[in-house]
Amino acid sequence: MYQYTDFDRQFVRARAAQFRDQLQRHLAGQLGEEEFRALRLQNGWYVQRHAPMLRIAVPYGELSSRQLRQLALIARRFDRGYGHFTTRQNLQFNWIPLHQAADVMDLLAEVDMHGIQTSGNCVRNITSDAWAGIAPDEAVDPRPYCEILRQWSTLHPEFAFLPRKFKIAVTGAAEDRAAIGWHDIGLQLLKNSVGEVGFKVLVGGGMGRTPVIGTVVSEFLPWQQVLVFIEAILRVYNRYGRRDNMYKARIKILVKAEGERFVQAVQREFLAILERDVGGREHWVPQAELDGVASHFQLPAEVRSHASQTRDDVATADTPLAYRRWLERNVHAHRLNGHRAVTLSLKRAGQAPGDATADQMDVAAALAERFSQGELRVTHDQNLLLPWVRTSDLRELWETARHAGFATPNIGLLTDMIACPGGDFCGLANARSVPVAAAIQERFDDLDLLYDIGDIDLHISGCINSCGHHHSGHIGILGVDKDGAEWYQVTLGGSDGSTRSGGAVPGKVIGPSFAAEEVPDVVEALVDIYRAHRQHGEHFVDTARRVGVPAFRAAADAVRRATAHAEATA
Amino acid sequence: MSTARIMRFVDPVRDPWQEPADAPAAHTLLSLDQWSVVRSEWPASVPVGVLVANTVDVETLTGDLPRWSLVALQFPKWTDGRAYSQARLLRARLGYAGEIRATGEVLVDMLPLLQRSGFNAALLRPDQNREAAQRALRFFVGHYQGDVVQSRPLFARIEA
Repeated sequence: MYQYTDFDRQFVRARAAQFRDQLQRHLAGQLGEEEFRALRLQNGWYVQRHAPMLRIAVPYGELSSRQLRQLALIARRFDRGYGHFTTRQNLQFNWIPLHQAADVMDLLAEVDMHGIQTSGNCVRNITSDAWAGIAPDEAVDPRPYCEILRQWSTLHPEFAFLPRKFKIAVTGAAEDRAAIGWHDIGLQLLKNSVGEVGFKVLVGGGMGRTPVIGTVVSEFLPWQQVLVFIEAILRVYNRYGRRDNMYKARIKILVKAEGERFVQAVQREFLAILERDVGGREHWVPQAELDGVASHFQLPAEVRSHASQTRDDVATADTPLAYRRWLERNVHAHRLNGHRAVTLSLKRAGQAPGDATADQMDVAAALAERFSQGELRVTHDQNLLLPWVRTSDLRELWETARHAGFATPNIGLLTDMIACPGGDFCGLANARSVPVAAAIQERFDDLDLLYDIGDIDLHISGCINSCGHHHSGHIGILGVDKDGAEWYQVTLGGSDGSTRSGGAVPGKVIGPSFAAEEVPDVVEALVDIYRAHRQHGEHFVDTARRVGVPAFRAAADAVRRATAHAEATA
Repeated sequence: MSTARIMRFVDPVRDPWQEPADAPAAHTLLSLDQWSVVRSEWPASVPVGVLVANTVDVETLTGDLPRWSLVALQFPKWTDGRAYSQARLLRARLGYAGEIRATGEVLVDMLPLLQRSGFNAALLRPDQNREAAQRALRFFVGHYQGDVVQSRPLFARIEA
């Protein structure tokens, strides 16, 4: 894991002191609500339905046991004892009073954490593949590049007030586990035919009202040039992105409107920086810098020696079915001999997807310490991942995780759904997500049925801002507001860009919205149609694509009650 | 670059820059349109400044820049960040060495960004507290990425 330097540490403390000054001026009436708003957002503080919401950055999803324990402490002391892990690998608290905000930032700074740029119209926290550095299909470990990007984008003076938010995701693997096509900039690390490292660069992906998949603007950008190239993209966006309408302000709109001209403008700006600007070449990343940052991500010595001397097989003879299921769903291949990555499921009955209590955070921290070199990852699917588990420890880990409620063997299955906090918490939401997620959880509580349904991505967003990534769900559920009531639009066949799901694509709407109480019936109807039509080896999304929307739509329409009534009387 | 290191707070009472008069006068602040009318006859010895809207491509101003003592960039709303890019281009790409002044909705907490993007003067919105603005410039002793004041990023400074 990246270890903070003295510079990093004093920087985060300076940010906390700056925020305290801003907060004090605000509380003293010297800084109005509107003006304080943009400042607090860039430190992760939203104002929500009940209290401010604090979004804490977990850079590219890497978290230490020590940090997680501090988050548990904050949950206990300042929140109502729990937190919510997000699709962007961050952690959110929902109940911290604003007047305690600066104290919380100080506590975070103690463990090298902060909320810098987790919100606001700036470059957001960089996200990555939760399996970075451990995935067998990885060409290049993205973490050093993520860290270089994190540093470069942190408090960049020119790009703090862009037309709209700006999200960058990086992967270095063949399988896209970071949904890079859905980001403002998506970066895929590659090696060319002579082994040199570079990036495939996508620009202009995004969800929201206008779902768009990013356009490839470079097939192979040498890694040394990545900061300059991104500077060029951001400068073109800062100057020419729309600011007259916030729904048209994301870079995807500029890329769509300008097409090839946008790409040419970026190329011209890139060359101008290098050829004409004072200091323009200073951000060409030298090998020494990459090596220095990469040294933070070397294999733990213990892991290296264990990998060289051990057997890789996992004994399953005479083991309980529950354990074998857990091995199948929650335990993942590792690039190192004798190791596995293990998901701690945050998707279980009685808790909102992605939520963890303070006690659960402490247990997860202890599990990481005991079984995974004190390191965890936050996954895009809102689970926790232990990256360095020995195969010989799996049985023991399973027993311990099971007692702590972390071993639900449902990773990749229907109940491993993505959901935003929704209208129970969020001031932006049109509808609630948590009760809908809970109703679906309850409907599909039979593990045998879940296994029969197999791999499926179910994503729920409480509004069009798409924090729950409904566009990319095989089944997407979007909360909408109709005359003050909560309704849910259902989409079919979306993809985050993973191999299993096919190229990134938004799902198709299957007709008018459904009432909240109909949603579990609709999901069940869609699943039943899949089970009726599937051919050998087909996953839900394969059948949905082959059979097409009409059959699924008809099945969903057949379970309408409230909507049928509403339409009949309209 | 030394001028870029110091941020001057413009005192609106003592500020010499004024609206245009009938004849060229020292410290006249013109709009870009006004400048284009008088540019052929404006005497080189009479300091002139130009107010540049944040939609202007500053690279189109290259030929005129040496004649200007002041470029006033605008923040119609403080969250509209276009002028940061303009200032950065004026300094780092076009080599402009005169005053770059932030005008419009200029707030205390913009000061660190203004300074690092190449502004060396700020006309604060009247309700803003200058002491707080000066304090805002002192929280950070260094930054990760290079900027107009310090063009080298942290990694280049450490290696040097």
